[in-house]
Amino acid sequence: MKNEVLELRREGLYCPAGDFYIDPRGNVARAVITHAHSDHGRPGHRSYLCSDSCKSLLKIRIGKDSHVESLAFGKRTKIGDAWVSFHPAGHILGSAQIRVEVRGRVWVVSGDYKPQADQTCEPFELVQCDGFVSECTFGLPVYRWLPETEIHQQINQWWAENSGENRPSLLFSYSLGKAQRVLAGLNKEIGPIFVHSAVYPFLEYYAQAGIKLPQVTKIERGKDYAFEDSMIIAPPAVEDSTWTRNFRSARKGFASGWMAVRGARRRRNLDRGFILSDHADWNGLIEVIKGTGAEEIQVTHGNGDALTRYLREQGINCSVLAGASMRGEEEA
Amino acid sequence: MIEFAALFHDLDVLTKTNERLDRLEEYLRKAPPDDAIWVCWFLSGNRIKGAIKTGELRSFLAERANLPVWLIEECHDRVGDLAETISLLVASEAKDSSQSLNDTIRSCLLPLRAMGTEERKASFWKTWDLLTSVEMLPFHKLLTGGFRMGVSKGNLCKALSRVAEVKPAIIAQRIAGNWTCDDLSMQDILDPGNEEENKGLPFPFCLAAPLQAKVETLGEVGDWQVEWKWDGIRAQLLTTTGGGGMLWSRGEESIGESFPELLECLPHLPPGLCLDGEILAWGRDGVRSFSRLQKRLGRKNPGPGIQKKEPVCFQAYDLLRLEGEDLRYSPMAERRERLENLMQKLPDHLPIGISPTVEESTWAKFADRRLESRKRGVEGFMLKKKDSNYESGRVKGAWYKWKVDPFLADMVVVSAQLGHGKRANLYTDYSLAVWNDSGELVTVAKAYSGLSNEEIKKVDLFIRKNITGKFGPVRSVRPELVFEIAFEGAQGSGRHKSGVALRFPRIHRWRQDKKIEEADHLSTIRGFAGMNEQENQGDGPLTDSSGNLLLF
Repeated sequence: MKNEVLELRREGLYCPAGDFYIDPRGNVARAVITHAHSDHGRPGHRSYLCSDSCKSLLKIRIGKDSHVESLAFGKRTKIGDAWVSFHPAGHILGSAQIRVEVRGRVWVVSGDYKPQADQTCEPFELVQCDGFVSECTFGLPVYRWLPETEIHQQINQWWAENSGENRPSLLFSYSLGKAQRVLAGLNKEIGPIFVHSAVYPFLEYYAQAGIKLPQVTKIERGKDYAFEDSMIIAPPAVEDSTWTRNFRSARKGFASGWMAVRGARRRRNLDRGFILSDHADWNGLIEVIKGTGAEEIQVTHGNGDALTRYLREQGINCSVLAGASMRGEEEA
Repeated sequence: MIEFAALFHDLDVLTKTNERLDRLEEYLRKAPPDDAIWVCWFLSGNRIKGAIKTGELRSFLAERANLPVWLIEECHDRVGDLAETISLLVASEAKDSSQSLNDTIRSCLLPLRAMGTEERKASFWKTWDLLTSVEMLPFHKLLTGGFRMGVSKGNLCKALSRVAEVKPAIIAQRIAGNWTCDDLSMQDILDPGNEEENKGLPFPFCLAAPLQAKVETLGEVGDWQVEWKWDGIRAQLLTTTGGGGMLWSRGEESIGESFPELLECLPHLPPGLCLDGEILAWGRDGVRSFSRLQKRLGRKNPGPGIQKKEPVCFQAYDLLRLEGEDLRYSPMAERRERLENLMQKLPDHLPIGISPTVEESTWAKFADRRLESRKRGVEGFMLKKKDSNYESGRVKGAWYKWKVDPFLADMVVVSAQLGHGKRANLYTDYSLAVWNDSGELVTVAKAYSGLSNEEIKKVDLFIRKNITGKFGPVRSVRPELVFEIAFEGAQGSGRHKSGVALRFPRIHRWRQDKKIEEADHLSTIRGFAGMNEQENQGDGPLTDSSGNLLLF
């Protein structure tokens, strides 16, 4: 891809008019970051620009001493010959779509996004543009999300049932974003809530942003806790580790969009899968892409072939961003 | 149908066999008998055939979901299961379950078979309006026949036997063979008394355990009856009175329709008989390969042409019932003697023979003789304890299979496909290739199993990063992975470019130490199969020197 606003380089999407990259790899002078997940906000760049509420979270990822500037949502700034602004992507706290305007042409890079409601982050904003770079992690119509209140009910019901059997509930969810979203929906009457140490550091910044989360205890090595009727939130990476041995009798669940497909749950030997995603589902992708009014769509992050073909058949000029990572297939 | 949907969901979620068994028992106790009988029927491995063709179902689904058919196929590939794909794509509006399982099957499933396309479509639209979201998946599982729920027929018998307080073997007999929900009721299955069961049904098959210890640990050679292990279809041939009878496969399917020449033997056999044995492809030279037998499988009512070209025989090796008397609890040696006596009395022209015993004085000599297996077209030896009963199922200590070691070859993964079920969305189905004379990799096998979960994850990741092309659901992969493949044999095949097809290929281990240049050569595989021309010459007919194998 190469046009008057953006081009794809080895490090990632680049804006020649402003001499900056969006969510780049490697080591660049100016990195504009959509959100604080580690596959978007990477360490090693000389300076960063992100949304205000993303800043503290990003610093946890890339180091406290990194040079990070931030901008309020909706406020425009000029970098070189390009106008840049951040617009809520509804993915996690501080996640942004990046609007870049060069000589009257507007491109929006979505980062990861979801138009569905989420009480732990700024609601998604639809931005009109000429070109739209969209994620498509869940780019098949089998991925359809229920309202999050229904999923929260499912999780609470599961927790209550497990508590009734005196078993802890060990729920795997990504440390940043998903964990907080799960926490926000927990009914703390059911029992105590514990979090893995990877989840803990993000919580204070959620509190600072005014997001209400229940009281939790951080699990620390060498201490004894009564886990019987508790809910334990931990990142999926620890699923097969010795850490989970502390919870032998626990029922295990996983909160992820991938849980929509039975095979994905059964393969992991989980007791339950909760279909809770921070990405747009199929209908979400289609609505947003059409809603932007963009005349050119590029899709990335996921297997975009199906979405691209579907949109093309409807007369929408869409293609897969060449060189884009296949992260979606790797079960991010 | 809501109770059934709940059962389906629970069995899907429960991971321990005992919990699943308890759950099934609970359902069978509580469910209305008209519903429970269907569950028994499906869990017995039955399926409703011919309700709809997959292609038609996909096109209905495409229309209902307002999506192109190709996208339905993409979804099916990702999900790995059509029933689940439907349940994910059809948005259910129904709030309450309104029909019993029996009513749903009889009004929404069975009538489909007699309908034309338009009528069938209308029926699906109605069904999709009727089903609640939790009922969607179980219903379509019944429809597409991929209904397993991880409960074996054996476990179904156990659950039923707990409800009925009758031995599982009796239950197994009652639900063996072909039956429908119109001619068998829960009352029949759960009947407390009536040990005098119908003589036309097969006995549960006695299965051999693989011999894992050294053969010498079995003790005295003289305590064991040794036969060749045939490579055919295990079956029981039964007679009732008046020249009738049945031929049952090990899956307890009635397969007589596929082998009319065996049914024609029935009037020549005494009534109340049950023979256990093997159906084999059998030419003038004796036993033929399993691939020849495959030409007769699944072909009902074969014409005289194919019967002549691909003849079969029934090789008897056990006598389970004679003139109505159950012999399963007599010792093997006695059953063998009575079998031999019986077989001597049969007319010569019948395609029924006896599996000869092999006599040697020591295990070491048997070990030598076992090396003849490949040339004889058999898989090794069967070892049967002379004082053993005819057991139900796989009981250790009675029958052992002492198989020849598989062939092994190193092969290169050249393409992959997403797996199904538990392996959906993982690249677990691999095409494997070896080098031909022109230095090209040619595919000789597909293998699905044999890697650990850890290895599967690694291989999956490698494949995703090294996809070089897309052909429908198949992804070609940069050749780099070398697997050692075990297989039981090779045959010529017109389907593969290599001209070879392997029998039971499976992954033996991942040779991470090998480069693709070190993979095996096609001629090696052909050599294993005895397919290289030089090796084919001079091999005479594979018959026993004692003449035992000549049946005709």
